[in-house]
Amino acid sequence: MKYLYEKDLRPMKYTILTSARHDEATRAIARQLGVTDAKLRMVLIRRLDMSLLENLGSRWEMGQEHADSSDRVAEELGCELFTRFIPLVDTETMQSIHSDTKTMIESGSSADDAIEWGRARIREEVLR
Amino acid sequence: MSILQDIKNAVRSRSIHVSYVDVGSCNGCDIEVLACLAPRYDIEQYGIYVHNNPREADVLLVIGSVTPQWVDKLRNIWDKIPEPKVAVAIGNCPISGCVYNRRGSLINPPVSKYIPIAAQVPGCPPRPTEILSAILSVAPLIFKDYEESKS
Amino acid sequence: MKKTVDVSIPLGPVHPCWKEPVRLKCETAGERVLRTELELGYMKKGIERIMRGRPWQEVMFLAERVCGICSVVHNMVFIETMEKISDIEVPPRAAYLRVIANEVDRIASHLIANFSYCYTIEHETLAMYLLNTRETVLDNLERLTGSRINTAYMIPGGVRFDLLPEDGAVMLADLAKVEDEVRRVVRIFETGPLIALRSRGIGFMDREEAIRSHTVGPTARASGVLDSDLRLRHPTYQALGFEQVTRTEGDNFARVMVRFQEIFQSIDLVRKCIDTLPEGPIRGGGFCKAGEAAYSGEAPRGELTYYIKTDEYGRVVDIAIRTPSIMNIEACAHSMIKNATTIADVTATFISSDPCVACNER
Repeated sequence: MKYLYEKDLRPMKYTILTSARHDEATRAIARQLGVTDAKLRMVLIRRLDMSLLENLGSRWEMGQEHADSSDRVAEELGCELFTRFIPLVDTETMQSIHSDTKTMIESGSSADDAIEWGRARIREEVLR
Repeated sequence: MSILQDIKNAVRSRSIHVSYVDVGSCNGCDIEVLACLAPRYDIEQYGIYVHNNPREADVLLVIGSVTPQWVDKLRNIWDKIPEPKVAVAIGNCPISGCVYNRRGSLINPPVSKYIPIAAQVPGCPPRPTEILSAILSVAPLIFKDYEESKS
Repeated sequence: MKKTVDVSIPLGPVHPCWKEPVRLKCETAGERVLRTELELGYMKKGIERIMRGRPWQEVMFLAERVCGICSVVHNMVFIETMEKISDIEVPPRAAYLRVIANEVDRIASHLIANFSYCYTIEHETLAMYLLNTRETVLDNLERLTGSRINTAYMIPGGVRFDLLPEDGAVMLADLAKVEDEVRRVVRIFETGPLIALRSRGIGFMDREEAIRSHTVGPTARASGVLDSDLRLRHPTYQALGFEQVTRTEGDNFARVMVRFQEIFQSIDLVRKCIDTLPEGPIRGGGFCKAGEAAYSGEAPRGELTYYIKTDEYGRVVDIAIRTPSIMNIEACAHSMIKNATTIADVTATFISSDPCVACNER
């Protein structure tokens, strides 16, 4: 069935993402997550709607400023950043990743390794 | 020319339903069309009723240069308006693209490529009185003797 | 976005309540709105792309055509960014005249925002009162700048036209009339039981969410975000003793009331400006130089930011505009409308955040 008004939004979303400030924000997010820019753009275009894409830069900035920074693990993983500021990961999934990482640290592995492992899981979740 | 047709002409010139569609302008013309509703200009004293339902409209006011989303949808809206119908372009944008018609922009003017335009009101933006007089002068002309011209 | 239910109610792009085309897809369970998705692209003209590589004389006119409703402030922020780059001083009289033009434009913009809200909750009487008042305000803008909508009043180093003393007197008289009328409308709006039913407690957004999605302007101030008015940091407004309006309810009613209160505040500011208008020239000199700057000003809808990079001939090499509607529409679609109890409140809530789609998409 052909939907009456539905149109392919991907080129328009791509236009939004490639304007100057949005491109900077996308690159910063890609750096934090450790994925390539092109892959992250693909994910953003698939997951988020157009107004969230327009607001990506401001949300990223506010995330840097106001995200929960009491816990080092949460800050390094970007727990609040990727659930509430930029909704790429479910809250429950993020919670389980966070607690798993914490158990890893408590059970003796070094903090850097555990955070690296947590990041890999977030990456997996984002690219899913 | 029958008496019935005369009555129809008289009634049609005093009962015009207007719908407006913004196909990518700066908003300035939108609010000038809205300003026509204000008691100062009082568009309803001429029998013009503004609402945004294309299925009931006689006159379609087209505002703005055509953005990618509207390229196919503008024609859809035009097809939904029942006969007799007329489209009026408000502002410079539907006529030429105004300041946006430069290399690198996303728009695709003029509007007359997509739907037939009966009248144009240039201005960036035109004053409410100009919009009002354009609707008032073009609509009765098009609707006059509609049944006879059809056959 | 991920679908949770099948029933998706589309609103727009052509909708009786909406002045500009935008498409809101609400996923509902019964009457309850579970999540919303916004489809834009109806107004995307690519204005930032056209601006690159053009001299500031052209970009100035493009900048005010980003948005027709708040064109004066777009002009003002662009010009003040250019002045910041090139170290151009503004004569005091011109700075005051800028404030007058900006505040008169703000009154007109708030009036049309509240008109839209009253029209959407089907209180046409109030809506028409407000729309008629707006005409008086626009007359004064025309008296000062020579045009109703796209004024191009400010230029680097000053303004184009002076305010004659007799025009100032007429403006004061008109604004007194406007104040009376708006006061009457506010009384009706505050005490109307049916208006309260459709406004109070609907479209609630708390302070946390307002900060998270970086809402600005009246939308943020209605949710109790302090220090969110950039006029507090503007030197001319500081000299005039400006204070921010804040409410804490965070619902539709608060957002409309903040705008009403700001109208009175703007009228006071214009009065103060005209009374204490300094003598002197209205145009200084200066050349636009090479440089890079980010500058924010307070538009009627909130914080407006221009990032500009110029070369030595005054051409704009790179530009990015962050308009207030980007943040406000996003917060509205994803937090105010979410969990709305009926689909009938969606349009009213959307309009209460004063969405300007032309700003949002540029």
